[in-house]
Amino acid sequence: MAGYNLEAIEAAPLKDDVDIVIPTIRSLDFLEQWRPFLQHYHLIIVQDGDPSIKIKVPGGYDYELYNRNDINRILGPRANCISYKDGGCRCFGFMVSKKKYIYTIDDDCFVAKDPSGKEINVIAQHIKNLETPSTPHYFNTLYDPFRDGTDFVRGYPFSLREGVQTAISHGLWLNIPDYDAPTQLVKPRERNTRYVDAVMTIPKGVLYPMCGMNLAFNRELVGPAMYFGLMGEGQPISRYDDMWAGWAAKVVCDHLGFGVKTGLPYLWHSKASNPFVNLKKEHKGLHWQEDMVPFFQNLRLSKESDTAAKCYMELSKMTKEKLTKVDPYFEKLADAMVTWIEAWEELNPPVKSEASEEVNPQVKKRQSDGKDVKAN
Amino acid sequence: MSSAEINKNEVDIVIGALNADLTQFLTSWRPFFSGFHLIVVKDPELKEELNIPEGFDVDVYSKTDMEKVVGASNATMFSGYSCRYFGYLISKKKYIVSIDDDCVPAKDPKGFLVDAVTQHVINLENPATPLFFNTLYDPYCEGADFVRGYPFSLRSGVPCAASCGLWLNLADLDAPTQALKTEQRNTSYVDAVMTVPAKAMLPISGINIAFNRELVGPALVPALRLAGEGKVRWETLEDVWCGMCLKHISDHLGYGVKTGLPYVWRNERGDAVESLRKKWEGMKLMEKSVPFFESLKLPETALKVEDCVIELAKAVKEQLGSDDPAFTQAADAMVKWIQLWNSVNSSA
Repeated sequence: MAGYNLEAIEAAPLKDDVDIVIPTIRSLDFLEQWRPFLQHYHLIIVQDGDPSIKIKVPGGYDYELYNRNDINRILGPRANCISYKDGGCRCFGFMVSKKKYIYTIDDDCFVAKDPSGKEINVIAQHIKNLETPSTPHYFNTLYDPFRDGTDFVRGYPFSLREGVQTAISHGLWLNIPDYDAPTQLVKPRERNTRYVDAVMTIPKGVLYPMCGMNLAFNRELVGPAMYFGLMGEGQPISRYDDMWAGWAAKVVCDHLGFGVKTGLPYLWHSKASNPFVNLKKEHKGLHWQEDMVPFFQNLRLSKESDTAAKCYMELSKMTKEKLTKVDPYFEKLADAMVTWIEAWEELNPPVKSEASEEVNPQVKKRQSDGKDVKAN
Repeated sequence: MSSAEINKNEVDIVIGALNADLTQFLTSWRPFFSGFHLIVVKDPELKEELNIPEGFDVDVYSKTDMEKVVGASNATMFSGYSCRYFGYLISKKKYIVSIDDDCVPAKDPKGFLVDAVTQHVINLENPATPLFFNTLYDPYCEGADFVRGYPFSLRSGVPCAASCGLWLNLADLDAPTQALKTEQRNTSYVDAVMTVPAKAMLPISGINIAFNRELVGPALVPALRLAGEGKVRWETLEDVWCGMCLKHISDHLGYGVKTGLPYVWRNERGDAVESLRKKWEGMKLMEKSVPFFESLKLPETALKVEDCVIELAKAVKEQLGSDDPAFTQAADAMVKWIQLWNSVNSSA
């Protein structure tokens, strides 16, 4: 452990309340660099692609790993709602987690430095974001008023200064920016070098493109709405998994009165995916988003939908009703949304009791020594 | 876009003089005000003569000028911080940049002085994107763009109506907040410009602001006057009310409002605790204004800014008039403002 920041490792805020979900198809070597900040956290690794490949997890991390065989075994026929050969498979990790908070990160993301040269502790910042209120009803021009050194500005209504619970913390990326394929093709050399030292709440009623690379959320509040859709192999679209989840989750948050923050923390995104491959994957999405966005902007959830799961079921009906005419894919997606909620509720029964701890004996945990252990 | 590319002839810099001695203020801004036309409007309640250093292309307006243009009874509309609105009224330029006279240029993290004027004009000249939030903030600036998932149909943006800048050192906090945190100073330089989404409300500060006069000039209304209005920002809400009207009208007409850069350095002035002693009616007025603006829908037929202001004034009188006389006065002032605007600007 020589050379590691022991203080930061020991600090691990709320380590018993956070699961870190990582989808991977290649390698988890990136976790070596994250040790000072992530080592004390429990990982849920969702291995995409060929399940026969053994993915090595750097030693010292406590983790459970699920490959496609595990997903099929645990969900049975409902496994068809989980994407294959796409990062969208990560939402399986959200479903099997039992923790209050989820942090999800891509395997080509590394520790970034702030302008002073200090390494950025992403998990600590995300936790701060989630544990302090959001302010979606009124925009504060000094951004997050709950950060040290700032506050609400003159004219900000006092009745709105308590804020609301934060459900989502959307972090950003230095170096390779999250551009779509056309933009990548036009600007292959562009790098994001601008460190914007702010966290802010995205106002109520406003949509944004949620990127899943550096994302944290309160699973108890909004977990069922974080379904990353049907993407990848066998599907007509990819690279819209996080977009779909982001628009759905924002609408659900707005309806239920929760907040969504964006901004810090930054991480370093190292890998630029091939823009031609990306174009092939997302080109349908480039057209469909012209319909998807107005769909989300105009929908109104009913009063009866008072939980994220209920909201999501209602959303699935609306998706079928309004978007099938855009493409039959959306009918499949709507059905998958229902499957997702059914699977979610089976693995996460709404009423907590002693018995529910034994929910599904099929859910096996693998300890870091590789031995299978039954979930308690 | 560098300052060399800005068309200085399209800009008026309007300064409301609440302090007589503008030497320090103008000298510190000289590198960035140079080449621009300045309109300095003296607070009609300020007794001393203004002290303005040489070398500026400046027109100065005082109470006498106001009375000549709008009549003695209407000149009261422009007292205190509202004096700058007289400058907005008589300007003939496309863009207005307005900075409080207790602010000087700020330094960016690299130590360079911030050219607030140029940054404001750049903000105004580039489109705004109020219909969808871009997570990399301003997509038109160097080194940034729209992110994945941003609808292409929305990437041309809309005209930018206003550019709201920020403040280092003494931030624009209200009196209770500053009194509680007497030592707090804003040291955080957030390197971003962003569009405030449509329908989102925000408190717009008049301390460091710019707008497209041709687009929305009449919407900057000198209307809400607190009974105990004073000569420090802690004792006024005229800009906050003006900003609520401006944002609402901009949203209605499909324009955008930006916030963020540029920063100015706001000098120490006044005493928050002292200001707190005054009866703080502003808080109550704000609380009443919020649900009003939240539910307000301007008629589809209101297509001109002037009509929007008139409709807004009507709604204020109808829905808020009985809550507080300040609202009725504000509504009347808004109507009067449009009359003055039309009369002054039709002869142009």
